[in-house]
Amino acid sequence: MKKFFIFVFHAIFLAGFSISAVPVSASEPIKIGILGPFTGSLAFNASEMRKGMELALDGVNSKGGLFGRQVELVFGDTEAKPDKGLAAVKKLVTRDNVLVVGGGYASSVNIATSEFCHYEGCPNVVAIAISPTITARGYDFVFRTSPNSPQFLEGVNEWLEKIKRPKTVAFFMENSDYGRDGQKIWEAQCKKLGAKVLGSFYFEIGSSDFTAPISKLKDLKPDVVFSIASTTEAALIQRQAKELNFVSQWIGVGGQFTEAFFEMTGPVSEYAMGSSLEPTKAMKDPITAAFVNAYKAKFPESRPGIFSSQGYDNLMVIVDAIKRAGEPTGNLVADRKKIRDALKVTDIRLSQGLIQFDETGQVFTVFPSPVQVQLDENCKPDTQIIFPPERAASEYQVPKPWAERRCK
Amino acid sequence: MSHRRVIRLCAGLFVAALFFVPQVIEARYILHILVMAGIYTIMTMSWNLLAGYTGQLNLGHAAFFGIGAYTSALTAMNFGISPWLGLLGGGCVAAFFGLLLGFPSLRLSGPYLAITTIGFAEILRLVATNWVELTRGSLGLSGIPLLTPISIGNWTMKFYFERDYYYVVLVAALLTLFIIRRLVQSEFGISLQALRDDEHGAQSIGINTAKYKLAAFTISAFFAGFAGGLFAHFSRLVCPHTMSLHVTFDALTMTMIGGLGSIGGPILGAVALTFLSEWLRVLEGFFKVDIRLVLYGMLLIFTIMFMREGLVGVIKSLKDRFLGFGRASDGGADHD
Amino acid sequence: MESLFLQQTLNGLIIGSIYSLIAIGLTMIFGVMKIANFAHGDYSMVGAYTAVFFVAWVPGWFGWVGSILAAAAVVGVLGVVTERLVFRPVIGRWTDIDVIMVSIGLFILLENLAQLFFGATPRIISDPFKGATVNLGGLSTSVLRLFCLGFSCVTIAVLQIFLNRSKFGIAIRAASQNSFAAQLMGIDINLVYRLTFAVGAALAGIGGVLFGTTFAVHPIMGAMPTLKAFIVTILGGMGNIRGAIFGGFILGVAESLGGNYISMQYQHAIGFFIIILVLLVRPSGLFGAKEGT
Repeated sequence: MKKFFIFVFHAIFLAGFSISAVPVSASEPIKIGILGPFTGSLAFNASEMRKGMELALDGVNSKGGLFGRQVELVFGDTEAKPDKGLAAVKKLVTRDNVLVVGGGYASSVNIATSEFCHYEGCPNVVAIAISPTITARGYDFVFRTSPNSPQFLEGVNEWLEKIKRPKTVAFFMENSDYGRDGQKIWEAQCKKLGAKVLGSFYFEIGSSDFTAPISKLKDLKPDVVFSIASTTEAALIQRQAKELNFVSQWIGVGGQFTEAFFEMTGPVSEYAMGSSLEPTKAMKDPITAAFVNAYKAKFPESRPGIFSSQGYDNLMVIVDAIKRAGEPTGNLVADRKKIRDALKVTDIRLSQGLIQFDETGQVFTVFPSPVQVQLDENCKPDTQIIFPPERAASEYQVPKPWAERRCK
Repeated sequence: MSHRRVIRLCAGLFVAALFFVPQVIEARYILHILVMAGIYTIMTMSWNLLAGYTGQLNLGHAAFFGIGAYTSALTAMNFGISPWLGLLGGGCVAAFFGLLLGFPSLRLSGPYLAITTIGFAEILRLVATNWVELTRGSLGLSGIPLLTPISIGNWTMKFYFERDYYYVVLVAALLTLFIIRRLVQSEFGISLQALRDDEHGAQSIGINTAKYKLAAFTISAFFAGFAGGLFAHFSRLVCPHTMSLHVTFDALTMTMIGGLGSIGGPILGAVALTFLSEWLRVLEGFFKVDIRLVLYGMLLIFTIMFMREGLVGVIKSLKDRFLGFGRASDGGADHD
Repeated sequence: MESLFLQQTLNGLIIGSIYSLIAIGLTMIFGVMKIANFAHGDYSMVGAYTAVFFVAWVPGWFGWVGSILAAAAVVGVLGVVTERLVFRPVIGRWTDIDVIMVSIGLFILLENLAQLFFGATPRIISDPFKGATVNLGGLSTSVLRLFCLGFSCVTIAVLQIFLNRSKFGIAIRAASQNSFAAQLMGIDINLVYRLTFAVGAALAGIGGVLFGTTFAVHPIMGAMPTLKAFIVTILGGMGNIRGAIFGGFILGVAESLGGNYISMQYQHAIGFFIIILVLLVRPSGLFGAKEGT
């Protein structure tokens, strides 16, 4: 009897699924799947990515869409968990029958989802997720419109070599693949520069109290502290460094310099550096400027940062490829293959710069730059590109001791 | 035909029907959910053995799941051991850790035991995150091999598709159900329940409670580890998050809502909530809001306050109400 | 370096004082009602969010102190509500497991309601001392943290006075020792239950504001204080308030020094290691004689 009820239960739920399936009609929209951690702790940044995509979508659909058909985004929430991500991508690819899967974010999720897409023959254009593994497995259908972690980290290497030339360094990384890979890459660079590594510390993501390792760092007195952390931890680290009266040149990565970061740190974040893509500071480039202005017009409350521009570029690349591949015939396998071929020869200028893919599907023409947080006359912080001179709007400032700072 | 016979027949038909599901449902996405529901079923049944039948509150259950997953993945990836053996290996290694965790349970109970088990799982999770050489840290192990193909007569399962995993998980879940049910209805199970209901009383009638507690922990951990191995070869990615408290809470919620201390409860809970979860995902598209976990919390509270025996209890009371009483000698607590 | 050791000890004491504050609430509730509340840390979270909004409404120093009081009040009420709606029906009815489970349900519910309403992005409670730091003979810390240490100690002292001198306090202690006897002596046990929850939750709420101002406020911030509070409570013996006070400071310092000298990555595991060791030797905690004292 019990089992009978279980069966009925099943039946109701399964029925619920079929009812909720979107019916297919004649002039169907062109469907693109987008993955992202839209709920959970990364949701805020994921929504920034989404806003960038919506801007792109508006631009495309207002001009009549593609081949006279509207483009539709189908979102899949990965919750930043690999098994949920797999369920989401399976739904997008096998049930919603999207032509391409875009979006991304969390590396561990995307390693799994991109593999699935490849075996299904569905092009996966990944945004934001930086682990090199994603494009390093020889998966033909997998592309990435964002720089991978080595490319990000190398963004500061030239500056380190030419301008800063530190004698002593330390590492203070989050306990993730990003942090660990980061240490390897930067340690190699330090060896080249002859800089001595005084110490390495790792912290658990989600920690709040860093006073112990910062006290240690204070003791070691390195010229540079490499620190890869995400927004919350990075902000707490900066604040606690101030509390402990510790000054050094902090070098991290762009993902931490979000609105939330500046809200949490205010002027305390002055001098912190990172390797980033900052569209608002690359306004010398007309396409970037156009993106920034359009974004601000559509989302006046929001700041067009690294996540929104990557989202924008990601969707634009997908749309461009579909356009070049020709109108989808309805034969999903063939259509996806054509789009994959079109993606391979992508050559388009977008908000991050030129997008071209190498043989592994990794974009190699986008160059993150070293940025530094600098304060304006009102003590408001913002990131400025400080190198190379052709792109820089500002110059490097050496961190001053806390007591001497203008803005407290 | 006696009542029992009818139930047995229905159950048998139903189980047989389950084997035909993939012929009817081809949607891979739905099969994926069914596989996950099946894996969760094994997890909840194993947790239920410990919490429902033995009364030991283990909040570190995800650790066993994770250990099984990592073990199976690592042996397959580093030593080329067949995933089928890996599944068993994962279960055994998890069982060993289950035994370890059983020792504190001999002296602790209630919140003390609960925190110890949480600590156990958290420590293991931190190890998985930090022992990068072994576990690849927080990025996790990816590219875990699929289950190696097996052939039955003319029919080969290559495990490229969810459908093949469905069969394996179905068989595994049925096996687990069978074994646990046998255990629970045997003298072993009765001793466990005696220990749960009154530990001192049980001791006074000569039951070696220590032995039973350790056994329960070990067996529970074995099945959880086995489920973990299945998960590893199905999703092909294992990361430290697999051992997090949230996974334990998921299993816990499913079991409670389904019905703690019953045979069918964990199954019902696991299947219902896995489907509910995905169904809400569809609704989310309309409402743009994630209420899944809020719902879980509310359901859990509601269940404990009003439906202590879970959905199974509700079904039972409905059954009694509509089909009348007079089924006196059915042997007590639960059966199907 | 000797000063590093002192610096770390100071850091540990400061964090420990907040742990103590939150743990006292938990242990009080357990002592009187035998409820192990896994949602306790979420009281801190709600307190912190209350402060976020209060401080936005009434800025400055005045606003911050006011927010602590507001948090205590709001969370106190929340405590009473949860006691009445969620816990009271379940006490004594079934096993330990039920109470813990229902509190887990509450934990999941509160955490995700917060995420639903407030979003996942971290919020800040602006530091009323504007990041001022002080130098105590080579040791550096922020004025805010020192204030937190002081405030926690004062609150604990006030609580002790309340428990030892006031009518209600004595009633709570009586109920904690033996609730049946207390009832026989004419104490309205339901009132005591409500009061205990109100005070216990309020303490957690205050701890939450201090914690949130020092660090950040986000929906899942409740999990850590819950676990820490349990660790402290077990260290000190469940129901033992003095044990919780000492336990909090001990845990704070142990984590700080352990993170420094042993390993930063396993810092969070230190607490668990400690209690597993303690429990193996003394199943009722470091200071706990018998359950419920």
